[in-house]
Amino acid sequence: MSMKISIIKPGLLSTIQDMGRYRFLSQAVPVSGAMDELAHRLANKAVGNDDNNATIEFTYADASFKAETPVLISYSGDGASLVYNNELMPAEKPLFFPAGSVIKLIHNAIGVRTYLAIAGGWDVPDVMESKSTYLTAAFGGFKGRALQKADVLVSGTLLSEVSDGILNHLIERSLTYPNWRISRESLLPENRQSIRVVLANEISWFDATSIISFLTNSYSIDRRSNRMGYHLSGKPLVKKVKKELLSTAVTAGVIQVTGSGDLIILMADCQTTGGYPRIAHVAAVDLPLCAQLKPGDTIHFSEISRDEAEALYLEREHDLSLITMAIGLKYIKT
Amino acid sequence: MTEQVGYFETDTPLKIYGLSEKSVTIGFGTAIDHHLLALITDFNQLLLQNPFSGLITTVPAYTTLTVFFDPLSVMLSGLPGQVCFEKVSAHLNKIAQTKREKSSKIPDKLIIPVCYGGDFGQDLSTVARTNKLSETEVIDIHTAGQYTVFMIGFVPGFAYMGGMDTRLSTPRKEVPNAKIPTGSVGIAGTQTGIYPMETPGGWQIIGKTPLKIFDVNRLQPSLLKGGDIVTFKAIGIKEFNAYAEI
Repeated sequence: MSMKISIIKPGLLSTIQDMGRYRFLSQAVPVSGAMDELAHRLANKAVGNDDNNATIEFTYADASFKAETPVLISYSGDGASLVYNNELMPAEKPLFFPAGSVIKLIHNAIGVRTYLAIAGGWDVPDVMESKSTYLTAAFGGFKGRALQKADVLVSGTLLSEVSDGILNHLIERSLTYPNWRISRESLLPENRQSIRVVLANEISWFDATSIISFLTNSYSIDRRSNRMGYHLSGKPLVKKVKKELLSTAVTAGVIQVTGSGDLIILMADCQTTGGYPRIAHVAAVDLPLCAQLKPGDTIHFSEISRDEAEALYLEREHDLSLITMAIGLKYIKT
Repeated sequence: MTEQVGYFETDTPLKIYGLSEKSVTIGFGTAIDHHLLALITDFNQLLLQNPFSGLITTVPAYTTLTVFFDPLSVMLSGLPGQVCFEKVSAHLNKIAQTKREKSSKIPDKLIIPVCYGGDFGQDLSTVARTNKLSETEVIDIHTAGQYTVFMIGFVPGFAYMGGMDTRLSTPRKEVPNAKIPTGSVGIAGTQTGIYPMETPGGWQIIGKTPLKIFDVNRLQPSLLKGGDIVTFKAIGIKEFNAYAEI
């Protein structure tokens, strides 16, 4: 039995995303996927899903939807809060709504993107092994496009044992949720303006003053920012060599320096190759912070080593696996 | 076929740098050339036939090969090293020490039909004027050439092709077009390429192909891949429409 919602108001940009499309990079198909992979995964975990199940990525608030059947959903992220009957719904927690419930997304000043997971994942066809939407080429997700008013979305019918367990605990005639929730705050650093970076291969192309300036000055997020990447405004960097870079593979988190010395942080929908020299890449554990930045926000970069970045990544993955295990223990009968 | 022995029989470690926690890039050289393309293509093939635990995919480019992997699987693998970078590097260096086999793979050759000029190739006159040629001469020179696909990048299926006759060299437009139609064939500097989908772009557009350059429903969505040899064939509007109806 699949669960179903209909979109009443789609909001600014709402797309279906999963953990991305990696196997077609050599054909220049971008990874895409959730910008804030952490929030996407936590929303999935809260309803007992696999991390790669598809969620809806909402951009800011001003969206609403109706449960056409009873639904088991959860949300995570910093772009909006869910509201039902004027009551603020807790994030990172499974929420059971009876059929007919109208749920709204209201403004949350912290960030940009919010992920809505449903038990079983949103059921859209796989395109090149992923459910992620890539708007530029109009493929993936829901008909290759952003969600619109009156779209009807259904869940996959195959529930995990954990999802089944959660559903059995919560199923009621009214809204229900358990007393536990995942603590996303404990996974994120307190200072969200400080973005950790690893210096990149072309670092020696820049003069010492530029490198110091990169690691000490603040940068603000420019209006020209979207799922492909963010332009930053701040002091331009100076190249000390005349060399040009031949196009080579890039990936989300890479910080490119344009011909005029401006910085671009590449994000989920970035091109697979790029020809601008790279000064650094954002540590994988801090990419979710970048995903929540909006035009006007200021950040600064702090340097860590490649090995530190990897250790942080492995530690984060370990923490996430403990969360999955803890939820599983609650609902799987042994 | 003269460089069939060697290149990666050496004990000199590869030049490898980290691109992210989940990827490393191998640098093979500094300039675009055919030997480097063959070397990267062969190395890529050998790596894909002998993957390490956790390998996700590879991305060849002009002078580099980038390898994407899952760090958790790499850490659990038996590869030597303390961190992913060392473990993946160890595997890549082992591949580099393998004797390079005689390149048995003959490149795929494709003929791409193009309807030149008119509404499909609004910049044909610019290319002709820039190079002091007639439009017919531009078409003749473009169809006489043989082009090598060096890499796929920019948008899904977009092939960077080298080997164009320098008599056709034309700089990019100063102001890019907001919308270049799907299938448009263009020239930028000494490169030629085909737009697989409608995107903004600054290349000089000389014609249009009815072929689907990128199709998500194909097993290999991108018609072209690195190493392919391409020639263009001029077709009229009737033939173009016949193709388009298929």
